[in-house]
Amino acid sequence: MKPINKAALLNRLEERVEQHIREAVSIFQNLPVSILLRPAENGGWSIAQCLDHLNGYGNYYFPLIKNGLDNHKGYPSKSTFRSSWLGNYFTRMMDPETGKKKMKAFKNHIPSSQLDAYTVVAEFIQQQEALLHFLKRAELADLNKIRIPVSIAKFIKLNLGDVFQFIIAHNERHIQQAKRNIKGIEKSETKYGRREQVNG
Amino acid sequence: MQQSLEHIRNLVQAIHPLTETEWQGLERIWTPVNYKRKEILTRAGEKEKYLYFVLEGIQRVVYYDEKGREATIVFTYPYSFGGVLDALMQQTPSMYFYETLSPSSFLRAPFFKLEELMYIHANINTMIRKGITAALSGVLERLTELQCFSSEEKFRKLLQRSPHILQMIPHKYLANYLGIDPSNFSKLINSVRI
Repeated sequence: MKPINKAALLNRLEERVEQHIREAVSIFQNLPVSILLRPAENGGWSIAQCLDHLNGYGNYYFPLIKNGLDNHKGYPSKSTFRSSWLGNYFTRMMDPETGKKKMKAFKNHIPSSQLDAYTVVAEFIQQQEALLHFLKRAELADLNKIRIPVSIAKFIKLNLGDVFQFIIAHNERHIQQAKRNIKGIEKSETKYGRREQVNG
Repeated sequence: MQQSLEHIRNLVQAIHPLTETEWQGLERIWTPVNYKRKEILTRAGEKEKYLYFVLEGIQRVVYYDEKGREATIVFTYPYSFGGVLDALMQQTPSMYFYETLSPSSFLRAPFFKLEELMYIHANINTMIRKGITAALSGVLERLTELQCFSSEEKFRKLLQRSPHILQMIPHKYLANYLGIDPSNFSKLINSVRI
């Protein structure tokens, strides 16, 4: 793939993560438990399950990203980044704009239906704040030099730039899915203030 | 910029009116700055160099101890002053961090310029004194609430004072500010009708 400007890429990714946090803060964290746990109309995942699925990826990747950035000290920064063919393929497959096909989750990434909904949402927000922090630190790193094994096939390694792009495209995919669950539910129902049974 | 300064002017006039000359001195010392989410403006151990005026976003003054525990001391919002006020006025190292909780924009003024104006203009000095006193009053009121109120009362009071805050920042910061467990906070969201 052609080299691209690193700062512009990080900026674009940062804006996307910022948007994801904004949606979680303004919408998801204020929904009643019953809506967060309600399965989709087509029998698909609830909002909490979508976010829990994403948290699972964060739990795997974020310690590796942190490690990669920590051990990168002393390496020169680089102003460009070049996607690998495979990294680009994964990102395009995950991004809801380019990967229209419905996919099945890998078996280690299937969320439970018994979830503590608010803990899941809070964890998601916490992870996205951490992701913003990593993107900021990456300004001083060489995105091609740090390499991270992918969760579903650890013998394959992707560079940090591709991992960022892939994770954030994957987040976008499931946040859109979660938001489709709210559609159809009346606005008055989603507003804070409705009395709901507390789960657990 | 002119519009932003107008917000300061409105607040200042409400605290303690200045003459036109005094205002012209004061309006000259501000510079616009922008920060993203979760950026640190002031660190513990550093001096507070600026007085901030919040134009956009929510921020907090927060204390971290050596065990990683944190205490959210105060939130700042538009259109009000922000920063670590005690470290600013005393020019001593701050005990706290001042950080953004959402993308934020400010006007900021270097303390030495503000101090100079306080020496020259009696009304600016009085305005600052009154502003600090009002802030102290807010802190004492909050201290009372923290010690006397139940979790539910604190939650209701917060929402009375700032009804939109639930949609603006992650709930963990609100729970921390009120000194209640995050899981209790989510139960309150489900059970308390405002």
